[in-house]
Formats: sequence, C-alpha cells, structure tokens
Amino acid sequence: MKFKIFTIAVLASTLFLGSCTNDTNEEKSLGAYDNGFFIINEGGFGKANAEISFITNDFVTQQNSLYSAINQGKLLGDTAQDFNANGEFGYIVMNGSNTIQIVNRYSFKSIATIDKDLKNPRYIVFANGKGYVTNWGDGSDATDDYIAVVNLTSNTIESKIPVAEGPEKLIVYNNKLYVAHLGGYGSGNTVSVVDVLTSKVTATISVGDKPASIEENQGVIYVLSSGKASWTGDETAGKLQKINPTTNMVSTTLDFALTSHPGQMDIENNKLYFTQAKNVFVMNTSDTVLPSKALFTTSFSIYGFAVNNNSVYLADAADYSSNGKVVIYDTNGVLKNNSTVGVTPNGFYFNN
Amino acid sequence: MTTKKILLFCFLSVCQCVLAQNKPAISLNEVIVTDGALKKYSKTLQVQVLNDSMIQRNYSSLTNLLRYNSLLYLKEYGNGMTSSVSFRGTTAAQTAVIWNGININSQLLGQTDFNTITPLGYTNVSVRTGGGSGIYGSSAIGGSIHLNNELHFKKQFQNLLRMNFGSFNTQGYYYQLIASDEKVASQFSVSRNSSDNDYSYPNSNQKNQNGDYYNTSLNGSFGYKINLNHKINFYSQVYDGLRHFSGTLASISVSKYYDLNTRNLLEWVGLHKDFTSKLKLAYVTENYKYYENKDKDIFSEGGAKTKIIKYDLDYSPTKNFTVNSVVDFTQINGFGTSINNAKRSIGAASLLVKHTLSPVMQYEASVRQEVATNYRNPFLYSFGLVYQPLEMYSIKLNTSKNFRLPSFNDLYWEGSGNHELIPELSHQMELGQELKINALKFSLTGFYIQTKGMIRWIPNETGQWTPINTASVVNKGVEATGSYFKNFRGHNFNISLAYGYTSSVDQSNQKQLIYVPYHKMTMNADYSYKNWSLNYQYLFNGAVFTSADNYYRLKEYQVSNLSVYYKIGELDHYKIGIQALNLFNENYQTVEVRPMPGSNYNLTLTIKY
Repeated sequence: MKFKIFTIAVLASTLFLGSCTNDTNEEKSLGAYDNGFFIINEGGFGKANAEISFITNDFVTQQNSLYSAINQGKLLGDTAQDFNANGEFGYIVMNGSNTIQIVNRYSFKSIATIDKDLKNPRYIVFANGKGYVTNWGDGSDATDDYIAVVNLTSNTIESKIPVAEGPEKLIVYNNKLYVAHLGGYGSGNTVSVVDVLTSKVTATISVGDKPASIEENQGVIYVLSSGKASWTGDETAGKLQKINPTTNMVSTTLDFALTSHPGQMDIENNKLYFTQAKNVFVMNTSDTVLPSKALFTTSFSIYGFAVNNNSVYLADAADYSSNGKVVIYDTNGVLKNNSTVGVTPNGFYFNN
Repeated sequence: MTTKKILLFCFLSVCQCVLAQNKPAISLNEVIVTDGALKKYSKTLQVQVLNDSMIQRNYSSLTNLLRYNSLLYLKEYGNGMTSSVSFRGTTAAQTAVIWNGININSQLLGQTDFNTITPLGYTNVSVRTGGGSGIYGSSAIGGSIHLNNELHFKKQFQNLLRMNFGSFNTQGYYYQLIASDEKVASQFSVSRNSSDNDYSYPNSNQKNQNGDYYNTSLNGSFGYKINLNHKINFYSQVYDGLRHFSGTLASISVSKYYDLNTRNLLEWVGLHKDFTSKLKLAYVTENYKYYENKDKDIFSEGGAKTKIIKYDLDYSPTKNFTVNSVVDFTQINGFGTSINNAKRSIGAASLLVKHTLSPVMQYEASVRQEVATNYRNPFLYSFGLVYQPLEMYSIKLNTSKNFRLPSFNDLYWEGSGNHELIPELSHQMELGQELKINALKFSLTGFYIQTKGMIRWIPNETGQWTPINTASVVNKGVEATGSYFKNFRGHNFNISLAYGYTSSVDQSNQKQLIYVPYHKMTMNADYSYKNWSLNYQYLFNGAVFTSADNYYRLKEYQVSNLSVYYKIGELDHYKIGIQALNLFNENYQTVEVRPMPGSNYNLTLTIKY
C-alpha cells in the first residue's frame, strides 16, 4: 500500500519535474530508487531482521523494508553489513546469513543470491570486472580469513585469497586492494595490499591498532585506527595515517589522545571528517594536527557515518532492537533531516 | 480496600493468641522432602505441584512441562535449544530454580536453561509463585521452580524402564530403581535423550538444520535413619549434554555446545524434642564449552563451582507455631575463557516464622540479611497471611522484598563486566482467593511487582556492550485457574484451565518488556476408563514484542497435544502411550525466525516391576 502511494508520488514528481526543467538538463530517472540514498539496517544478529530503507535526496519520500516490499515478502537475511553497487546491480553483504543478495539498484528487484563460499563476509568492492569481499571465516579462528573473489557474471565465488585475521573495510586503488585488518574478534594493526591481477598479497603495512576506516583521496590512502580500548588492559591511542601507495609506506601519522578512540572517517572535497563517540570532527586533508574542537555533537553514539554532497549522514542504532534513526546535518553542523528507519542502521549508499 | 480490611483484621487477630495447643507426637516421617520450606512456608502463595503423570506427558524437557502445565512463558532458540523463562513478566534471571532446596541457577548467567533439565527423575516439580528470596536467595522474584526428590521409608523394590521413540529420530530411555525399607530409602535413575531434531519448518521448504542433540542425566537419592533422632540424606545429580545449535530461517549454523552440571547435597537431620536441626553441605558445578565451528578444535569455555554450608534449626514448641533460624555460607568460584578466576562469598542469616493464629488464620514471615564480598546487600523480608473463613473459601495475601544478584558474567566478563553493579530489587504483593465447591476449584490471584535497577546489557559510548542497572519495571497481572473432576461409573473426567494476564512495563518508556505475552492460557483435559486414558492439552500464547519500542512482534499461537495411554493387564506392569504433538500443525515461533516443529508423533512404552 505504502509502496503504491510512493510509486505514484515518484511518478507524479517525475512528471512535475519533467515539466519544469529545461530539456538540456533533463536527467532521466533510471527507476524508482534513483536519486536518493539507501540505508543499511543491519538488524539484530540471529534475528534476520536486516532491511534496507530508501530516502530521496530531497528527504520528501521514504520507504522502509524495501527488500521484502519489492520481493514478495522475502527475508533479506541476517545482519546486513555492507551495500555497494557495480553498474546497475546492488550487492548487499549479509554477515549472519553468509550470503550476498544481489538486486537491481533502481528497482530493488532481487537478481540472485550468492550463498556459497562466504563465511562471515564483511565488505565488498569491485575491480578488474570482479567483486572482492572480505571474510573473517570463523570468528574464533585467526587463520582462516580470506578475500572472496566474485565472478560477476555467474554470481559465484571463483576463488579465495587468504589474508591475515579480521579483514574489514577495503578500497581499490590502481588495481590494488587496500584491506584494513580491524582484527575480527581480536585486534589487528595492518593493511594488506592485494594485487587484483595476480590475486597475491604484495605488501603488508603496519598501521595503528584497530584500523576502522580506509579511504583514498587524490592518490593518498588514509587510514583511521581506533586504538585498543581500555578494557583490553593494553589501551593504545588512535591514529590517523597517510599511506603513499607508490612506496606502500606510512608517510604521516597523527596520534590521538590515549583515551579518545576515533570511529569512522569519510573524505569529501579535501576535507576529512571523522567521528568519535557522539562527536563529528572535520579537518583539511593537508592539516598536520588533529582538530581539537568538534564540528558538532549529537545526542547519540554514532553507529553509521558518511559524508556526501556537503551533508553529513549519521545513523543512530538506538537500543539495537528498536527502529533506529538517520540524522543529516550540513557541513556546518546544522540539522537538515531526521528519519526513523529500520533496526540498527549502520551505513549508507548514495544511489545517484 | 480489600487489602486494608484484611490487614486490620489481621492486626486484631494477633491479640487473641491461641494457647495450650497439644504438641504433636514425634512422627517417623515416612516421606522426606529436603526442601522443607516449600511445604512449610508457602501457604500464603500459590504452589502448583506437577506430579508424575504430568511429567510423563511432557517428559522431554522442563521447558515443555512448564509450557503446557503452568502460566510461565518459555522461549526457545529453536526446539530443544537454549530456553529461558518469564514468570509473571519478569526476566529470565528473576526466576529461581531450586533443586532439593538448593538454588541451581547458573552462576555465570544468573538463570537456568530449561532445556538442560530432564523432568523424569524427579518425584515432582513444583511452581511457587511470588517472592522467595527470603528463603531461596537470589532470583526468586517472579517465583521459583522446585525439582524435588522425595524419599519414602517403606518396604519397596521397584524397577521401571521407559522408552520413547518419535518423529525426527527422537529417542528416550529412562531407567529407575527404587529400593527402600523402614531404615533405608534409595532411588536411582538414569535417562538418555537424543534427537536428530531435523524437522521441516511448517509451510516452508526449509528444514531445521544443525539442531541435533543428546543428553544424559543421572539422579541418585539416598536416605538412612541412623536412629530415631538422626537421619542422613544424600542427593546427587549429573547432567551431561551436547547440542548442535540450530540455524534460523535466514542463517545456517555449524556450532555446538556442551553442558556438564553436577549437584551434590548431603544433609544431616537431627530430631530432638521441640527442635529439628538440619545441616546441609552442597557442592554444585557447572561447565560449558562452546564451539563456533563443530568441526574445528577451537572453543570457549567457562564454569563455576559453588560450595554451600547451611544450618537450619527448626523450633516448634506448639503445633501452631514454628520458627526456623537459618545461617548459610556460600562460596562461588567462576572461571573460563572470558572470566578470570572470580570469587564470591556470601554469608546469610534468616529467620522464618509460621504461626496459626486461629483455626481460620495463619501467617508466615521471614527476614534475611546477606553479607557478601563484592556488593552491598539488601535486607529482605516477606509477610504472608492466609485467612479461611469458610471451609470452601480462602484468601491469601503475601508481600515481600526480593533481589537478584548480578551474575558472574554481568560482573566479570572480560571487557564488558561491570563491577559497579548492584542487585536488582523488587517489592511485591499478591492477593489470592481460592474457592472449592466439591469437585470444582477456582483460584484468582492478582500480583504487583516493582523492580528497580534492572540489569541490562547495552552498548556504551564506545560501542562496547556492558551491563548497567537501568530500568525500573512494574509488573501487574491476574492469574485465574479452575479445575473440575467427575467420576461416573468408572469413567473419570478431569479438566483444568488456567489463564494469565501480564503487563510488564518499562517505566522509562512505558512499553511492555520484550518477550512477555499479555495473555497465556493452558488447558488439560483428561479422561480415563478402565485401562485407557486420554489427555488433551491446549496452549494459547499471546503475541510478544521483540523490540523495546514495541514495533516488532511475534504473533500469537495455539498448540494442541493429544495423548492416549493403555495399561496392559491389571497390575500396571506395562503401559503403552501414543502422543500427537502440535496436532493441528500450528506454524509458530517462540523466538523470531526459529520455527518450532509442526505435527509430530511419539510412542512410549513403560515397564514396571
């Protein structure tokens, strides 16, 4: 029902937009879910209540539980960890189900499910016509972690590249994967470099403890490490580090205060944004010191984070069983929008 | 208003002490029940005894026994998997499980997994409503479940063998030996249960995957009368089980979990004139091993060892007045992969009084003070009154203050445990009425429980999950039961019905707690004639919320079971039974995305000599 109203609204707005934009600038909508962003609601582990929400760029229209609404009530699965897209396809990495759900990212119709050869899958990127998915293997086993290589034609895992424990976020630069080893159940402190042409680990770069975010900006790899928490009995400081991908050496290290453990990072227009508990900080990528003052502070611990088109997107996981929230600020810290989404929102995908 | 009147009446009655009652002759105590308080100090609450024939019908687990025969709500993480209880809308750690008078809730978890207890092997299982911390210690807030082994000092020698076979390759073997005379009473039993548990999910093409299990229980009870004044009783139990934890509708599982629990209790009873002294020594251990991947030799483990010494002196100068003074000392060691050798010592002193004021009125009271090493302990009390103005009608009133200790995991789990936790505290009250008209029995009980400082695991600012004393919760509810029996020319009919309404509201957001149904109803109907007997069970379980904002829920379900038994011959040597469980193939879940079995069947054969 909601979906019908939504479709009508979308159709109506397209017609309306169509009638008042001039012909040269007209952008053709690729489907109902073009020009908006998806929210990954990871759901509770073991509860299989992961879902995707969609909000249009103008925040006017929103739809929750997208996957089951479009796909005849089918369950998306257990614990949605990541959403990334390649061409017209969206890939949703289901950590608890050990699957990847593939959808058309404009219609959200289910295309296929990869349900073999994945174990604790985390994040997915695309390079050289293939998908690369970090996998922890069994969380309790430090020696069975790997990158699964996805054949994007057959939608199967064609090979596995063994890596060190706890591969988490990864990026592609110059036909190389830079894989941050957050460490799985333990604590990692390296970035693996994998050559996608040879499927070999070609370098291992030491970084701070618990590298939680990795980004590339203008030929520099940025790694934000949280540091070990105090409860480990071996608390270490967080670090923001730059890696030179030509030499695979850390060129710059900025240390956080020992007890201030940063969370996630995103870079846009040479500005580096990062989170720490309830705070959002911003600095220039060229700055040589960390900012001392937060850009703004929220009322919740930030669980999901992204910066896009001069807006800061935050996800509030609330109590991890109830519906969470997405709160959007502009880059000056002025609140723009606030929406209730699904359970435990952890990230965003901008579908433009 | 009613409460006020009763209190006033009680106050007036206290002044008219009944004097000069005759003292009872020292009895030889044909039956020994070590959990004495269950009989002596539970008159002002509701105690439901689930006897052997009820256990025989729902023999597979304590979960099923209580699900179909009480108003307790049970949820399972898949059939036969981890199971927890909500008693009167309280949390799983707010129900105490008492084995022969000893609290056996897991020291690590603070609760009992109801699928690690095989009800066969107990003389009976009793459900005692309301506060009991004054007698049983931590967790007796919603109520307590009592697993009792009774010893009978009479000449008998009996062997019993029981076998059951059913759907999903479910098998059970139970052997029991009773050998007693006037001086020695002994009972021994062993049970073994196993199942592939690979049922098809109703209305689905999926199967319950990785859900197979087996378990073995050994029970021994031994009583010896040294002389007229001294007796020694010994109770022992071992539970050893392996479960592969089943997957869900959306995830497969490869994990497995071992339990090994032992319980031992030695009791020395001395009977002297007006005094009965009981010295109890108990040693209870629990161990688990968890394998994330059953095919790898990587596991996490943990356990606890509990030593208890307890001295209970009962003084009954008259038939109408009894006072028990109890001192006990408990020492617990917790250990494991995530608990670094933690220790807790608790000393406690309590005083219990039972007084019959007049033939129609009796009160019970208790006070208890604990002293513990790691936290500040509250002073606990209870007071109850039973007033029976008519033979057929009685009113019961009970009020108490109870507590739940933080568990070892709450306190010491590496990286998460919170040393600052304080015990959960509850103030509660219940008022019950009972009416008996010949074969008709009714009861109606209302309760009110206010719990403060409820312990909840929530993520802190850095995303680390940690327990804190948070919510204040108010539980209110009504329980109604009715039963009727009729014998007519050898035809026996018996029907019992129970309905409970439970509201359990988190005071911070005014929402119902998750996994607490507003409504639950059970019915048991029995019919027997000559060698045949038939039983029909019906359960209605209302919808439960699965998220704190009450946005997500599991729908209500109705399950029916039908059993038919036939006794071969006059001497009851052989009995054969057939059960159809979930007769109408209800598709239901007690925990989200974990469907329970549809219709399934089993066959039971009992041989007794």
